[in-house]
Amino acid sequence: MTRLVASNVSKQYGAVRALTDGNIEIEGGRVTALLGANGSGKSTLGKIITGLVRPDSGELTLDGERVTIRSPKDARRLGITAVYQELSLVPHMSVAHNIWLGQEPMRRGGIDQKEMRERSGELLELFSASFSTRVTPTMRVSDLTPGERQIIEILKAMAWRPRILILDEATASLDGRQVERLFELVAQWREEGMGLAFVSHRMEEIARVADRAVVLRNGDTVGEVDVATTSEAQLVQMMTGGATAPHTTRQRAASGEKLLEVEGLSSGRVRDINLSVAPGELVGIGGLQGQGQASLLLALFGAEPYRGTIRIAGKRVNLSTPRRAMREGVAYVPGDRGAEGLLPVRSILENLQLPSWHRYGLLLRQGKAQADAMRAVDELNIKIGDIEDPVRTLSGGNAQKVVIGKWLLRKPRVLLLNDPTKGIDVGAKAEFYALLERLRDAGTAILFNSSDDEELLALCQKVIVLQDGQLRAVLEGEALTHENLVAASMGTAANGSAGRSADSGGRP
Amino acid sequence: MSRLGILLRNHTWLVPLLLLAIAVGVNVYLQDNFFMQRVLNGNLRVMLPLMILAVGQAIVILAGGIDLSVGAMVSLVNTVFVTLISADSGGLELAGAMLVGVGVGALAGAVNGLCVAVLRLQPIVTTYATSFIFAGLALAILPRPGGSVPRDLTRFYRDYILEVPVAAYGIALLIILWLLLRRTRFGHHLYAVGGNDEAARASGVRVGLVRFGSYVATGVFSALAAIALTMSIGSGNARIGDDMTLSSIVAVVLGGTRLAGGRGGAIGAVIGVAILSIIRNIISFAGIPSWYQTLVDALIILAALAGPGLVYLIRRQRNDGN
Repeated sequence: MTRLVASNVSKQYGAVRALTDGNIEIEGGRVTALLGANGSGKSTLGKIITGLVRPDSGELTLDGERVTIRSPKDARRLGITAVYQELSLVPHMSVAHNIWLGQEPMRRGGIDQKEMRERSGELLELFSASFSTRVTPTMRVSDLTPGERQIIEILKAMAWRPRILILDEATASLDGRQVERLFELVAQWREEGMGLAFVSHRMEEIARVADRAVVLRNGDTVGEVDVATTSEAQLVQMMTGGATAPHTTRQRAASGEKLLEVEGLSSGRVRDINLSVAPGELVGIGGLQGQGQASLLLALFGAEPYRGTIRIAGKRVNLSTPRRAMREGVAYVPGDRGAEGLLPVRSILENLQLPSWHRYGLLLRQGKAQADAMRAVDELNIKIGDIEDPVRTLSGGNAQKVVIGKWLLRKPRVLLLNDPTKGIDVGAKAEFYALLERLRDAGTAILFNSSDDEELLALCQKVIVLQDGQLRAVLEGEALTHENLVAASMGTAANGSAGRSADSGGRP
Repeated sequence: MSRLGILLRNHTWLVPLLLLAIAVGVNVYLQDNFFMQRVLNGNLRVMLPLMILAVGQAIVILAGGIDLSVGAMVSLVNTVFVTLISADSGGLELAGAMLVGVGVGALAGAVNGLCVAVLRLQPIVTTYATSFIFAGLALAILPRPGGSVPRDLTRFYRDYILEVPVAAYGIALLIILWLLLRRTRFGHHLYAVGGNDEAARASGVRVGLVRFGSYVATGVFSALAAIALTMSIGSGNARIGDDMTLSSIVAVVLGGTRLAGGRGGAIGAVIGVAILSIIRNIISFAGIPSWYQTLVDALIILAALAGPGLVYLIRRQRNDGN
């Protein structure tokens, strides 16, 4: 029987240890779930197995023999395939061409279109009952629904006839019927001797399909358990490392008035979100990564179309563009500094003043702009050589301070932060937290998405938890514990209580 | 999506074909002997070199690149070819010179491919730069226009086989060549790399190699275009290809291929060249000053680029209304 073992695998990105001691055994005829909270290293471990990431140390053995996997191609040659999340589809090509991309059946020097179509048809047959409309091999991938595309990804992986299949959040965009069908197939493939690894943010799914669960925490493998005999609460406890006392040192609850009110907001990945933030309140957005947190923040910044009502200081606003949002006093600090936050080759001064030039007259008063920028640099303690140096000369932490600085110069009323401390060293983080607290105390309403649960627990009075684009729980006061946070992220309840649930109390 | 919509999208050359039919109609109205064998042959002879070039351009654009040096490659191969032969060269000598010409084209394409696929330079700037190298080489080889080509060769190019112009066989051959290429794994991967190179890489496609290959193929097609052009004109000129680069790109766009890559095909480009030539005919027969030609080319590019965006805007507005 096939057996893939990863032992003592580690991976470091710059100063960040993503994985210290990763261990997993994927055996033929078994479904192994890979469990962990944000930052536990589970996705790094998965990527190492499929060759997307090369480990710094540790070893992989397949059927007792040591193997080196340098690329997804190497992994496939060994019979290891992963279902990517829409990473590997070419939208303008047909279903058949996508399924067989990279391993097209050939005949007499040319591609055998007929064979390709027929074999695609057979694969599609596996899911035919769960498609709401017929999907044929000649249809274009760009015409399919997200769920259907996800199924094409699964079929594409199956076309390689893998011995080991990694399903990483493969159910995320499937509807109920499609998930059922996938689980039937998973059971069938397991019977046939395939080894499956299953990563999901839905605890209920793990309980249904997995035989074993490997739990990671902070880059270490903390244990492997039998899913049938382990309760969900126990799993959550393994993921969080035991009970943590509720944080009580956080700031007093804010006054009754609300600065930011959101009703029934739907956009991109999120559906029907209700929330409110008072002046001087720091509200966290939690949950596993990629559950719609970014969508929510971008909608509030006018960068993604939305439906629903947004009120700022009691006034109903239409945030159709970032420019309008800015005029209402909304600022957005992105997590991806390079892509959304900074112009790397332009100077620190230009970056800081980019949203604010309108205040410096028709012929810009450079002197005043520079003086204001210098004040922000001092205030934020940004370590720079010269204010005219390009931003790319700064370290990650200092660059992130420039992103914040450029919004502080506008004195925002509502500050949206999208995982701002990712990839920043510890010292810079501490300064950053102090800055957030200062802003909060000055009366700014702050909405803070973070993939670092500890950070949310340490800073926020209130944390809303998203799962599958929906608000699952609002945690505050006594209920704001790591266990409850992780439990709500996985759609389950820790020790019977996941705080105030969205359905009962979250809606006004 | 409607059946018609799907048909049009899967066969991107259908709309250009309709445009061609309209253009031909206007042309026939202005020039009543359009369908005379002699006139038809004249038109096809002029079109063939640019058609070959446009197929090359389509290949590189499909793979997500662009080649601004195709005109210079045509000039280079034209001068090399003319220098290697004389008015009384025999068949073997001609074949040898053609082979050398194709080799030069492939080599020039490989230089582009190396810069873009291996050194990862920007395609537009890179091929713009190399175009000066190729044009400079062409001038060094043949500083003054001249050279001569065997009479039989030019005569053959104007001739008929079974009442059908030789140039028409050339076009048929070109389309067959493309259809064969399209069937190979390389032809297939062109679309994948142009459509989503990340996905192609994750599927085990050798993206760099496909990109490199697309430039080499463009070099080869440029050389073939140069040979056809030499047969048509009968002499050498180091600036002969200058105007052809922009025309080749216009033809590709006109043929329904998106400049961003991954969508379209070379048949559209062939039709695109036919449309362009016929528009030029119309301009001359309607008595419009010929410098309007450049304006028309520019407007066609603008319209072709704006078209999909406009459709999207209209559709979105209609959806918002609902």
